[in-house]
Amino acid sequence: MGDDSQIEARWREDFPVRWDADHYLTRRELAKFLTLGSGILACATGALAIAARESPREEYPALLIPSATQLLPGTSLLFRYPTVQDPCILIKTGSGELKAYSQVCTHLSCAVRYDAEGNTIACPCHRGFFAVEDGRPTGGPPTRGLPRVVLQARADGIYAIGMEP
Amino acid sequence: MHTRQQGTVLFAGILVLIGTLVVIQLWLLTAALEALLARSYQVLLPATVASVVLFGFNAALLRYVVIFDAKVRREEPVERR
Repeated sequence: MGDDSQIEARWREDFPVRWDADHYLTRRELAKFLTLGSGILACATGALAIAARESPREEYPALLIPSATQLLPGTSLLFRYPTVQDPCILIKTGSGELKAYSQVCTHLSCAVRYDAEGNTIACPCHRGFFAVEDGRPTGGPPTRGLPRVVLQARADGIYAIGMEP
Repeated sequence: MHTRQQGTVLFAGILVLIGTLVVIQLWLLTAALEALLARSYQVLLPATVASVVLFGFNAALLRYVVIFDAKVRREEPVERR
């Protein structure tokens, strides 16, 4: 019975008859709720920082890219690095320079393609564009650049030896 | 009555301020998530510090409101009920 009266008192406090009392209570509770949300947001941001600190640094194997040396200027080929689940694109620019990037668009993970005519890397899904020189976004929805594959020329061919964000 | 009217205006201002700071914190969280995905780890610690500082501001503002509210209730107990 005591509990019922307490519940009723709380109900009357939450839904008072007087208009000004109703506003006053609502604002106070909203302030508390917002401050609670503020604490949660601070914790979430801290959790991201901790997650970044705790995440293990990846080690990349050296992988021979087949037929990379036979690539003609203004063409590209696809390969997978560092695992078979990670599609990448190797591009030989018109000047003969080799560039390699992840083929996964940083917008919504579509596969990007090399556009030799425009000398750009294009994502056909939402018309996103990346620079061939460094993989930075140059147009469309993507805001982050393509991760770059570090290449190394050895006696027996071109090797992928690492990834850079 | 005069005190309550002043308090209502003050309270509305504080509420807007708290809401603005929360929106800034939300922006910091999305920026931190974006930085994490881009592996720009150097952004994360300053974002966390800024977010915690803003939370401190919010907590201080809420504390002020609670104290102010208790003071008004003490001064006008009959009129409020």
